Amino acid sequence: MTWQTFFDFSTMAHRHLVFVYAGVLVVQLSYVGWLARAWSRIGPR
Amino acid sequence: MARSSTLRNVAWLWLAATVVVLVYGFRQAIFISPPEETMGDLQRIFYYHLPHAVFGLVFPYVNFVASIAFLYWRRRDPLKALTADALAVAAAEITILYVGITLGTGMLWGKPAWGIWWTWDARLTSELILWLLYISYVLLRRLSPTGQTPTLAAILSIFAAIDVPIDFMSIEWWRTQHPAPVFGPNGGGIAPQFVTAVLWNLAGWAMWGIFLLGLRFALERRRQIAEQDAALLALEASLETPQ
Repeated sequence: MTWQTFFDFSTMAHRHLVFVYAGVLVVQLSYVGWLARAWSRIGPR
Repeated sequence: MARSSTLRNVAWLWLAATVVVLVYGFRQAIFISPPEETMGDLQRIFYYHLPHAVFGLVFPYVNFVASIAFLYWRRRDPLKALTADALAVAAAEITILYVGITLGTGMLWGKPAWGIWWTWDARLTSELILWLLYISYVLLRRLSPTGQTPTLAAILSIFAAIDVPIDFMSIEWWRTQHPAPVFGPNGGGIAPQFVTAVLWNLAGWAMWGIFLLGLRFALERRRQIAEQDAALLALEASLETPQ
């Protein structure tokens, strides 16, 4: 597989493959962002 | 101070190593590993689905052990109990994250593979129940105002932990739409050409989960200490004699 075929949205299977890889990273990084925001709101010790 | 600085350096090093392993795992999963015979490229979803599913069944036990430790220490040693409680909260949230991703990636695989987003079979249902149990755990902690909340949450976590072996064994005990087990004595195993990609992604998502666990634990300890400091200040203010 190459980058071009990875982003080939012509079939449902390929679309869902990209959704999984992008979705997992977005969800995980959003959680880290939420933790960082909470950390900054508690204030320095 | 020196200890805190060392811990921070270890955390950054761990994060850097995790990113390297995840990037290499991504490369293995997408570009190196061959397409599967029947499912083709769709099978590559498995490289992200499986690690989240595996560790989504490990983190509940971190929550369970920490909850038992909290219940044991809550009268004997309240400071240790607070630390155990912080670990329990961290593990519960990461369970929600990992199990939620397992459900989401499973549905995205199910639609093109089975033609359906969801079916009420034993594996999917027990996984959904596990996710809902930990959602209720976190909601209980967030919405309940009483001082007994950590105790109630610890008891709830014992019930939640019971679902984990049921979830794990569901594909052995019942006929399900979900594929047969991969690991274990009755597991189908993984074809040799896919093993490298599976192992790199298992390692990467395990390292990421441990990093998140440490970060969330540190955040909860910071919140607990800020709460203690605020309570101490309020107590001191109340004891001051008016002039």
